[in-house]
Amino acid sequence: MASVYIPVQNSEEEVRVALDQLPRDATDILDILKAEQAPLDLWLIIAREYFKQGKIEQFRQILEEGSSPEIDEYYADVRYERIAILNALGAYYSYLGKIETKQREKEEHFILATQYYNKASRIDMHEPSTWVGKGQLLLAKGDVDQAFAAFKIVLDGDRDNIPALLGQACVEFNRGKYSNSLEMYKRVLQVYPQCPAAVRLGIGLCRYKLGQFERAKQAFERVLQLDPENVEALVALGIVDLQSNEASGIRRAMEKMQRAFDVYPYCATALNYLANHFFFTGQHFLVEQLTETALAATTHGSTRAHSYYNLARSYHSKGDYEKAGLYYMASVKEVNKPQEFILPFYGLGQVQLKLGDFKSSLSNFEKVLDAYPENCETLKAVAHIYLQLNQTTKAHEALKKAVRIDPRDPEAFLDLGELLISTDSGAALEAFKTARNLLKKSNEEVSVELLNNIGVLHFEKGEFELAQQTFKEALGDGIWVKLIDSEPQSDDPIQKALNQPMDSSLAARMYKDMQLFQDLEKAGVAVELPWDKITTLSNLARLFEQLHKTETASLLYRLILFKFPEYVDAYLRLAAIAKARNNVPLSIELIRDALEVDDKNPDALCMLGDLELKNDDWVKAKDTFRAAKDASNGKDSYATLCLGNWNYFAAVRSEKRAPKLEATHLEKSKELYTKVLVEHPANMYAANGAGVVLAEKGQFDVAKELFTQVQEAASGSVFVQMPDVWINLAHVHFAQGNFPLAIKMYQNCLRKFYYNTDNQILLYLARTHYEAEQWQDCKKTLLKAIHLAPSNYTLRFDTGVALQKFSASTLQKTKRTVEEVRATVAELKNAVRLFSQLSAASNLQIHGFDEKKIETHVGYCKHLLEAAKVHCDAAELEDQQNKHRLELARQAAIREEESRLAEEQKKVKLEKRKQEDELKKVMQQEQHLERIKETWKSSGSKRKDRAQGDDEEGGQSEKRKRKSSGKKRRRDKKAETHMDDQDEYEEDMANTNYYEPENQVNHQVDEDDNPQDPLAAAGLEDSDFDDDAAAPSTGRRIAAWPDESDDDEPVKRQPSSSPVRENSVDMQQSDGE
Amino acid sequence: MKLAWLRSVETAHQDCVWACTWVPPTDTSPKTLLLTGSLDETVKLWDPQELSLVRTNTGHCLGVVSVAAHPSGKIAASASMDSFVRVFDVESNVTIATLEAPPSEVWHMQFDPRGTTLAVAGGSSASVKLWDTAEWKQIGTLSIPRPEGSKASDKGNNKKFVLSVAWSPNGRQLACGSMDGSISVFDVQRAKFLHHLEGHTMPVRSLAYSPVDPRVLVSGSDDERIHMYDAEGKTLFSSMSGHSSWVLSVDVSPDGAAIASGSSDRTVKLWDPKMRAAVQTMTNHTDQVWGVKFEAAGSGARGSLLASVSDDKSISLYNYS
Repeated sequence: MASVYIPVQNSEEEVRVALDQLPRDATDILDILKAEQAPLDLWLIIAREYFKQGKIEQFRQILEEGSSPEIDEYYADVRYERIAILNALGAYYSYLGKIETKQREKEEHFILATQYYNKASRIDMHEPSTWVGKGQLLLAKGDVDQAFAAFKIVLDGDRDNIPALLGQACVEFNRGKYSNSLEMYKRVLQVYPQCPAAVRLGIGLCRYKLGQFERAKQAFERVLQLDPENVEALVALGIVDLQSNEASGIRRAMEKMQRAFDVYPYCATALNYLANHFFFTGQHFLVEQLTETALAATTHGSTRAHSYYNLARSYHSKGDYEKAGLYYMASVKEVNKPQEFILPFYGLGQVQLKLGDFKSSLSNFEKVLDAYPENCETLKAVAHIYLQLNQTTKAHEALKKAVRIDPRDPEAFLDLGELLISTDSGAALEAFKTARNLLKKSNEEVSVELLNNIGVLHFEKGEFELAQQTFKEALGDGIWVKLIDSEPQSDDPIQKALNQPMDSSLAARMYKDMQLFQDLEKAGVAVELPWDKITTLSNLARLFEQLHKTETASLLYRLILFKFPEYVDAYLRLAAIAKARNNVPLSIELIRDALEVDDKNPDALCMLGDLELKNDDWVKAKDTFRAAKDASNGKDSYATLCLGNWNYFAAVRSEKRAPKLEATHLEKSKELYTKVLVEHPANMYAANGAGVVLAEKGQFDVAKELFTQVQEAASGSVFVQMPDVWINLAHVHFAQGNFPLAIKMYQNCLRKFYYNTDNQILLYLARTHYEAEQWQDCKKTLLKAIHLAPSNYTLRFDTGVALQKFSASTLQKTKRTVEEVRATVAELKNAVRLFSQLSAASNLQIHGFDEKKIETHVGYCKHLLEAAKVHCDAAELEDQQNKHRLELARQAAIREEESRLAEEQKKVKLEKRKQEDELKKVMQQEQHLERIKETWKSSGSKRKDRAQGDDEEGGQSEKRKRKSSGKKRRRDKKAETHMDDQDEYEEDMANTNYYEPENQVNHQVDEDDNPQDPLAAAGLEDSDFDDDAAAPSTGRRIAAWPDESDDDEPVKRQPSSSPVRENSVDMQQSDGE
Repeated sequence: MKLAWLRSVETAHQDCVWACTWVPPTDTSPKTLLLTGSLDETVKLWDPQELSLVRTNTGHCLGVVSVAAHPSGKIAASASMDSFVRVFDVESNVTIATLEAPPSEVWHMQFDPRGTTLAVAGGSSASVKLWDTAEWKQIGTLSIPRPEGSKASDKGNNKKFVLSVAWSPNGRQLACGSMDGSISVFDVQRAKFLHHLEGHTMPVRSLAYSPVDPRVLVSGSDDERIHMYDAEGKTLFSSMSGHSSWVLSVDVSPDGAAIASGSSDRTVKLWDPKMRAAVQTMTNHTDQVWGVKFEAAGSGARGSLLASVSDDKSISLYNYS
């Protein structure tokens, strides 16, 4: 071990001081040094030795003593050593300041250091080592530019000054000029190949920064060879190893970090990396400890940012978003430029998104995008936020960009698809399909939701086969497979159960039957249905309904209900199926089941109201619709629409035609439709309703415009079936006298929506033919209607009227052939037969006609019969006369041969007289017919008690004039005490059932003809995703039968009350992240 | 089990064709003939070989809604909306009788398997009228009993309007279908109502017994379903859905293994009752198919013919095998 020799003053002797045996108390040495007036370099050597041995106190003591004023005085001419001592102190305090974490102490250390250096400068301001020290101090203080200047002064004097080179390298490094920095380090190495490991560390760091990882690694390894405990090198090597991104590399890296940690537990970088590692291994406790230590150990911004980030991430992953948010925020604050460390911005964005702070979240994500414009995850997140902020266009752009950048990211396609569902289902389908293919390619599981969505979109596009395949794929294997596909002659217990005959008296309640599943369970068959498949199963069942495999659909719905009795939609669908089959009691029962689960379900309430209307339970229906409206806080436009419809029906149904009441109801319905239209300008059903009200007020052109638009909008989706608007349009054409167009419209509607099975529209059609005086078409149309609805006697009556009118018009013609008259008589006979049959049938008292009515009918038919007889006789007479005439003509011809010229004049006279006779006969017939018509008209008031149906049929419109008188009569007869208007009105409605059974029949038929009703009210699924897909509708029709006396005031027939609730199929919404 | 389309006549009638039946061969006319009735007020007789027109019968007013052929093949009946039934000689078209049972309407008709009785669905009379085929006198009325507690004037009663009728192959039972969807089964010999078959909720427009199993009754209804009942056991074997509109007509194949149906959805479907599903759908018609009828068994191994008639004025023939 080395020793120093302190020369003894005034002698040749020296005191040997072994450097490894320096006394614990520095004072001993100091005494010797002072006593012997030892040269200052010895002081320095001994102080340095203390420092090396970690005896900082002694080191400081010696140096402070060595820089004391008395020494200055004594050694005034020894300049260099004095400077060296001051510089050593300056460096010492710089170092203290650098490692000090507390701001105040740090400042104090730096101040001290500055003082020492300044003192040194005062001794010799050109001393390079002082400048180097100052440079390092400035560097420690972060004052890079001044440090640069300080080092430059030294280097200008001596370009190989190693400390200055090192300092300058450090400066350049901090300035980000890594190649410059590298040059400096290299020069140091050339000048001084034995330099400490730290120089090579610098080289390694520069190379690392310059992206020369391999050479950087070599440099760090060299450092470790020289100094196996070099923490920085360990950490740096660890980072390089991490860069490799391989499991082995990461393990090696962590080992190095661990070692660095063991050597020096306060290296923030190592701590961060370790924390990072433990985050991924899930040891959150360690993460917190390490990062907290790291935070305590460093003031370096980016390192602190990392530490905060680690901490935030740890909380984030634990779901503590509040804390995570705070730490992300702290981390973000430490970052100067987002480009340098973007992760906390992303994390903060995520947390803010989670906490619902979309605006802040968006701004953070946008910062990420500024730094990395092509980051797909961020683009997706941004898109999600835009979506939440209802900026779909922007969301769309972001997602499209994400998809373009990474066309292999199934998630981006998923998001894109979900975004497009409500706007462009075709594109949405494409996106979903791409996502599915990508997932399949990478052998990842395709989620039930995705398949469900694809299936639904196929369904919406009308691609039922594909939809079915997709739903089945989504459902996979289960009991439903056997319920769907039946095989004959199977021993399978499920097939056996399905083939089990059922008592026919129970068949009407089939849709409530769960026996099948109970039996299956008893037979040991597991009836399982995973909850995540309910939606898809329900959609599949809905698809089967669309394909008219209704029984299969009902089985599936019942399966759902068997396992999940709280699944309201299944009840409603079953109720809709029952309703379509006209099984109203069962339908109501099913809805009640649904309401038991959720007594505020607006869909169920609306459907119930609809059924109550069907049962003619007006007051109840209104209450139910109101309840539905309240249950949805008025947000459900469907309920509002229903109320609007109700008011409209009330307006036109009121038989008294109380103008005030009618106006009130119409106004109210208009108000309700308008309200819906304000909220949903695209609501076709509200528009239709508004059109109806307009038409009711005689504004046909506006109504027509509206209807035409609705009609255009309605064509395009399989779910939107709006025959009513076609009918309404036809009614308007009819009301405006455009019969050919009205006929075409009715026919198209019948064909397009009803498979020609709707006798009500046939009746409209017949009426139009009637008005257009197309008698044969009118008759044929009515006969078709009777064929469809044999028990509807109104149609028979109308047929009779049409035949009669046809006959009358033929007879009124001035020119007609005998054949025509014959046909006329035949038709009249038919009419008579029809009327007499009608009269006889009602005699049976099984049609509910009251006595009065029967009498009227009988009387009327008798009249017709007489009329027919007269016509018949007349025709026969005419026929005979014709024959006679022919005979005469023949005789005349013979005679002519005998005496042509003589007889000619006489013959002509004879002919003339005969013709005159004939003409007279015809006149008589006509007069008689007029008489009949008069009688008919006068009897009209009596007949008026008959159904409104009468009013609709052709030819009876004259009666309308007397309608009010008829009404009065009836009421008088009932001897009702006077009530206020409303009561009377309701009373009237209540009585309608009893007094006007035909009306009942008609009404019912009217209801039947709305095939969209099955879809109605319930809605297939209530989507929790978008309300837009659910388009509530007012299916309604007006029937404009213009009064002959007043064409401007059309009379609308009871429109069917079939507001239609459109189905939206469930779309699962995925989490936005 | 499949149908093969053979031929069609496009404008077989001037207007909608509403009824069809097969007339069995006789000694003098060895061919089975097809009889059709239409809204154009005519009844036409066709040779199935080329679907060539044999004869056109006139005389009905208002549309012809039903035609029926006597098992002997010698006589046939046609009914129209004016509620007359015209019974005529197939070969000569001589009117044998004109039946009327006022005020009852006339809907579907069928001769019993032995040919002694003609059953006529009596519409609003809520009954089936039975006519003796020797004397052409009405020999009985099978009335659907009123539901207990309902009054004669109850308006609900006209829902029992009888539309369709079918004899069991042994002639003992008779079933009729009503507007309200119920089917009533009668014991003909004792003129007794047996029971209702429930399950349909809309008009039952067509009924057919299986020719091989007198218990099996098939029904088609406006509720788009085809039901297969055990008419004696009062049970529902299966309820089959698949048509997208009313089922207007059903018939059971001679081998009893298949059911054919005609619907407002413009299709003819062939059903396998064991699968409870349609196995084939024919789409050659362009409007409602009002009648489907299998030719009775006995035409050899080549299978049997199925005829369908439609509102599109056409008649189609298919081979069933």
